[in-house]
Amino acid sequence: MGFEVHRFQGEVDEELLCPICSGVLEEPVQVSDVLQAQLCEHAFCRACINEWINRQPTCPVDRAPITSAQLRPVPRILRNLLARLCIGCDNTIYGCQVVVKLDCLVAHLDECEYNPKRPMPCEQGCGLIIPKDELNGHHCIRELRSLIQSQQQKLTDVKRELGEQQFQINEQKREIHLLKDFMRAMRVSNPAMRAIADQMERDEVVRWSATLPRARVTRWGGMISTPDELLQVKTMIKRTLSEYNCPPHVIDELMENCHERKWPPGLNSLETRQSSRRQYENYICKRVPGKQAVLVLHCDNTHMPEDMMVEPGLVMIFAHGIE
Amino acid sequence: MANIAAQRIKREFKEVIKSEEVAKCAIKVELVNDSFTELKGEIAGPPDTPYEGGNFVLEIKVPETYPFNPPKVRFITKIWHPNISSVTGAICLDILKDQWAAAMTLRTVLLSLQALLSAAEPDDPQDAVVAKQYKEQPEMFRQTAKHWTSVYAGGPAKMSDLDDKIRRLTDMGIEEHNARVALSSYNWDLERATEQLFMTVMAKN
Repeated sequence: MGFEVHRFQGEVDEELLCPICSGVLEEPVQVSDVLQAQLCEHAFCRACINEWINRQPTCPVDRAPITSAQLRPVPRILRNLLARLCIGCDNTIYGCQVVVKLDCLVAHLDECEYNPKRPMPCEQGCGLIIPKDELNGHHCIRELRSLIQSQQQKLTDVKRELGEQQFQINEQKREIHLLKDFMRAMRVSNPAMRAIADQMERDEVVRWSATLPRARVTRWGGMISTPDELLQVKTMIKRTLSEYNCPPHVIDELMENCHERKWPPGLNSLETRQSSRRQYENYICKRVPGKQAVLVLHCDNTHMPEDMMVEPGLVMIFAHGIE
Repeated sequence: MANIAAQRIKREFKEVIKSEEVAKCAIKVELVNDSFTELKGEIAGPPDTPYEGGNFVLEIKVPETYPFNPPKVRFITKIWHPNISSVTGAICLDILKDQWAAAMTLRTVLLSLQALLSAAEPDDPQDAVVAKQYKEQPEMFRQTAKHWTSVYAGGPAKMSDLDDKIRRLTDMGIEEHNARVALSSYNWDLERATEQLFMTVMAKN
């Protein structure tokens, strides 16, 4: 619905009034279509004409049949004429004397200090943000109490949901356990099945490896071969691997292979590492995203000599130098 | 009352008051209450019609949903017209029903009603008795409408022959308006009107 005419300074031209609400056009639209075919081009406030069309699909001025699809914003010249009108603030009755151009009204209303609904922080202690006109009847304890109540309600709801989900997880765990047992039994009892399962597991690692970005080690000297003290780092790396879809059947083994005692002969002591250092550059390493560590997977490194590689691969943790 | 309706009516009220038709005394509108939900309208009978010289008072009720729905208008002044009920004053006019458009105003409604007085639509009647007379006995209709205008709307014409017939009935104890309705409905045939009136009285007893 449009702006009441008496709020404007000076005379407002009749052409700028909405024939439905008789106020100054707000968000004006007119009846026209893209082809500018024989349509009447009468202009109305968007809200007014929508309300009318819901009741009767005709133009309110000349009763020509129209549809809401034919309503389009009015031409720029009309919008400019409207924007130029000077209107008194909505909060005039609360004492605001401001008169602004119509297109600045919204911006003014946002900051008008006479707006009785302007959000204000309570200064009596609770600090809640409340509409200005409710500050007087505001009672910190009452408000906070109802806030607590609503939050307790939320908490109860969340707890109930949590319990429900826990229950479902347990059920699924039991089911997975059963399936695992079943798989194990199949493997043991049937060699062909074992071969298929092994192949599937290997394929899965290859597929997974293909999703990981290549890593470049700039300082092989930063390698930490005995990360016994780095429990937290190891936990983080494991978690990252899991988040990046590491196949579960290799994750524990990979994490164990981050220590030189699990590494192949060419790597498992300072001396052998000295002598095979030249071959480091031949490793194909994959990134552990966000961590100073690389994955050297067996499936990526079949070109390496046997004493430089183990199944299913190894994790190398670095102090620095990973890109 | 919805804000939009009040805003519209205030504006339209001023529009009528400032209009040139008011200056010519053709239409008039007054407030009945402060909330702009009810108004009293008045239209002058158009020249060269049986209604000429009469002033017809209208009751205008503005619905909460105005202007998305038409105002409810009826004649307070009794009138003899095919599209207006001689009993209730209800009006049969398309723009007050399904042909209402939101851009119409009190002024256009009053002018349309005035036009309706000049050009009746006997094929879409509100009062079948009047419409029948209008079609079958146009001169009789003209006389009757003129008579009603003079009695109820302050019209100038005095028609002594019709007044005489009414007096014959009132002398018999019939209420004047009932006598007029009966005579008008039976084309001023005194005998048939009397018969009808007493049949009704007997039926009531």
